[in-house]
Amino acid sequence: MRAIVYGYFTDELDLLNAVKELQNKGIRIADVRTPFPVHGLDAALKLRRSHLPKVAFVGGLIGGTLGLFFQVWVFTKGWPLNFGGKPFLSLPSFIPVTFELTVLIAAFSMGIAFLLRSNLGPGSIPDILDEEVTDDHFQIILSEKNNNLSETELVEALAATGALDVKHVNAEK
Amino acid sequence: MMHVSPVREPLINGEKSYKDITKDVVAPVRAKPGKLWFVGLGISAIVMLIGFAMIGYTIWFGIGTWGVNRTIGWGWSITNFVWWVGIGHAGTFISAILLLFRQKWRTSINRAAEAMTIFAVMCAGLFPLIHMGRLPLGFFILPYPNTRELWVNFNSPLLWDVFAITTYLLVSLLFWYMGLIPDLGTIRDRMKTLWKKKVYNFLSFGWKGSARHWQRHESMSLILAGLAAPLVLSVHTIVSFDFATSVIPGWHTTIFPPYFVSGAIFSGFAMVLTLMIVTRRALNLKEYITVGHVESMNKIIIATGSIVGIAYITELFMAWYSGVEYERYAFMNRALGPYAWAYWIMMTCNVISPQLLWFKKLRRNLAFTFVLSIFINIGMWFERFVIVVTSLHRDYLPSSWAMYKPTWVEVAIYMGTFGLFFTLFFIFIRVFPVIALAEVKSVARSSARKFLGKPIKKQSSEKQ
Amino acid sequence: MEKQNIPDAVPFKFGKKLKTWLGIAAAVGLIALLWGVFIAQLPASRIWANLWLNALMFLFLGLGALFFWTVNTLGESTWQINIQRIMESMGLTIPFAILFFVIAFPGLKHLFEWTHTEHLDEILQKKTAYLNMPFWLIRFVSYFALWTFFAFYLRKISVKNDFEPRDNFLKKLRSTSGWFIVIFAITSSTSAWDWLMSIDGHWFSTLYGWYIFSGMFVASISVIILISVAFKRFNIMPNINSEHLHDLGKYLFGFSIFWAYLWISQYLLIWYGNIPEETIYYVERVDNFNTLFYVNMTVNFLFPFLALMTRGAKRQPLYLSVIAIVVLIGHYIDLYLAIMPGAVGHEQAAIGLLEIGLPFFYLAAFLLLFLVFFEKAKPVPENHPYFIESSDYENI
Repeated sequence: MRAIVYGYFTDELDLLNAVKELQNKGIRIADVRTPFPVHGLDAALKLRRSHLPKVAFVGGLIGGTLGLFFQVWVFTKGWPLNFGGKPFLSLPSFIPVTFELTVLIAAFSMGIAFLLRSNLGPGSIPDILDEEVTDDHFQIILSEKNNNLSETELVEALAATGALDVKHVNAEK
Repeated sequence: MMHVSPVREPLINGEKSYKDITKDVVAPVRAKPGKLWFVGLGISAIVMLIGFAMIGYTIWFGIGTWGVNRTIGWGWSITNFVWWVGIGHAGTFISAILLLFRQKWRTSINRAAEAMTIFAVMCAGLFPLIHMGRLPLGFFILPYPNTRELWVNFNSPLLWDVFAITTYLLVSLLFWYMGLIPDLGTIRDRMKTLWKKKVYNFLSFGWKGSARHWQRHESMSLILAGLAAPLVLSVHTIVSFDFATSVIPGWHTTIFPPYFVSGAIFSGFAMVLTLMIVTRRALNLKEYITVGHVESMNKIIIATGSIVGIAYITELFMAWYSGVEYERYAFMNRALGPYAWAYWIMMTCNVISPQLLWFKKLRRNLAFTFVLSIFINIGMWFERFVIVVTSLHRDYLPSSWAMYKPTWVEVAIYMGTFGLFFTLFFIFIRVFPVIALAEVKSVARSSARKFLGKPIKKQSSEKQ
Repeated sequence: MEKQNIPDAVPFKFGKKLKTWLGIAAAVGLIALLWGVFIAQLPASRIWANLWLNALMFLFLGLGALFFWTVNTLGESTWQINIQRIMESMGLTIPFAILFFVIAFPGLKHLFEWTHTEHLDEILQKKTAYLNMPFWLIRFVSYFALWTFFAFYLRKISVKNDFEPRDNFLKKLRSTSGWFIVIFAITSSTSAWDWLMSIDGHWFSTLYGWYIFSGMFVASISVIILISVAFKRFNIMPNINSEHLHDLGKYLFGFSIFWAYLWISQYLLIWYGNIPEETIYYVERVDNFNTLFYVNMTVNFLFPFLALMTRGAKRQPLYLSVIAIVVLIGHYIDLYLAIMPGAVGHEQAAIGLLEIGLPFFYLAAFLLLFLVFFEKAKPVPENHPYFIESSDYENI
């Protein structure tokens, strides 16, 4: 049984200060939950930049390549047809479909990657500790798991940053 | 926090805290819908059903029930198709291109505009399908392995359209829904009954607002915007290829792609204005969709409208400059022939009337903007009508010259798509948040009157 | 952020060393020209066409910058305020382009078939109401009169704000920019018809004006990038940070794609329609300028598209400026392809010492004028209401 300690702020600037304060004390923050993306929080938490753009790039590359090669194959090997006297391999004609498939596959591969990576999806049940997080609470969550401090010490540290309503629960994991 | 110049107009009026923003935006979803909503939905649904019945009638009796003939094979149906696709351009333009240009005002209107985009594209997609006469023929536009080993014609702009419209619909849907996830989470947490909580949790994909999720979400939104921006351009470009790849004077002109895109954004914004000016009153969102927002949209209208105007004149000039007899005739016939009335409606509504928006007073006048937006909607419909019908009705062979008049079946189908559009829109405003909650909150500190500590000035309160 | 946290820009001093370098560059260009005329005795049309090409390129850099500035002003954007003076000063070079155009005037008959009316063909005869010398000259003068007026008037508004800030400054700047954009929207197309499209007198394309505009815009963005990087590097404007470069990089990336979009729109429609009157334009280029035709697409689209895709690429000054140089050369090639096949013909057109050397003269002239104007005002518009915003933002 590992304890989880959490409290909230109602102003994102207080949250940012608290994050820095906790980090200065060497306390690791398990999670921060906010109603909207807080500017500067990524840097404060030292989150690595997301790899999603790369997923989109690879997805787009696959989509575009497959799209182009399929068209080329259809018109040179599959069933070459003469349309208005144009050459069978008329690349300008293939640009629109290639482009659309690039965008389609890039967008969806990234969307799906986002959901998988974040463990979100239809039927996913979140561990919500405070329903106001989606309203105006900026919540900091500390865990015993990755800190050497005891539960009470964590509560004290969080309360010292000015967090409101600091609570603790025993989580399964 | 980033510095904001004091000369900027606040984007959120009133003393709105984060909590107020949540409350105001979630209110329409939580409240019991009023009478007016049921009346609106009822009328839309009836019109939609009439439209569907007429689609059934067309399919049962064939395209002969329409007014199209051998000379003018594309009548209202394709006009409506292009018009609806055009309407569907504002949403993704607002959420993608304006995101890339860091225009913060887009946050208040992007959600509704994107929903509009999706509904409009759905309406648009109906027309080519019906126009095939037999719905199962729609199956043949997809490249699937079959026993005849025959594939679709990748050389045809009509097929490009299939890919473009499908991709546009799907990517817009993805973009819209990914943006909705956090807001649906907000609604879930505001719901009192368990089953509603469960439904909204399902819809919100279990959103919990974790910083790491936000970071990925932001990064994804930016890349999606980067992908959607050229996509917006490509869709109407490819629609314009339907015409411009042919060799028909009035259709075959190189300016078509960018000019169609500009026209699409122009008409899309007009539709957004028409709807949002009503919605902001009906749903009590005046503090979020302010006169400033309307002014910004009006600026886009005047920019895109003027681009369209320049394109009209360029076309006209080039027809003369080309020295080609047929080109010259096609444009003479547009402006002075039997369909001249349509041409001049188009010119008046699209080129002349938006020029009034150079006056700041008119840009900020909601009643005027509302009327003007309807004018533009009409004008842009006529633009497509002019392009489709007047270019076709007098072809190279004078013995095949003809005129075209729609039948009541075509009119009813067109009206039916309005029914479909508004039915979906009415449902949307009661089920989903009309304003992108999280995005509005994220700009609140830099742009809300409360945080900026600005008193409400007398002259900025609106007159209606 | 407060104003004092923004690194101060150092008032620029146009040093002697720099002048010497510009002088050398100009001399290289002149030598190339003299070599072409007297030693190599190149065909007259090739020489005149090169003068015309470089005059246009010279003009485009200033005009594109002026457009960039005004359109950003109208969009109420802020990021560009820190580098606004660069764009302003570039815009001021516009009137000097007249000189370079006029130098090429004696050669107009080599460039434009429609100028020598004695043997006009049937198609050109239909166009004489537009393509005739007096009207052409009237248009020439009015374009320059309008552009020059706006370049100097906007600059005046901007500089005046440094000394006596007024409340109506933004309003005035915006309304003037609005007028300029309206005029630019029309003149950018018509001037492209006058100066470029009518070289291939029979040929016509409605998109042509916008296509030329997009190329001009990209070319001038790359020059803005180069100047910004240099000013940052030599500590003239330490206020330029990687966010500004990132945004400039995005513009270069985005509008290179936009240019390619217009290119392919025009090409694809003409290719697909397959009407001989129209295809002749591309047939000439694909058949006889084959290499350049493909180089054009690669250098102006594929290269910046791939090279600028990542975030890091747009923020790395050196990397970004290398791309900017390549794209700038690319748009020189694009203009070359627009002019040479019609004006010189493939038998006589070539890329030799003249084509490579001459641009240095124009570049030096451009930079000289730019620096002279840049020196005259403060390097940043400190009193601009959005000035602090311009230093205090981040690209996600």
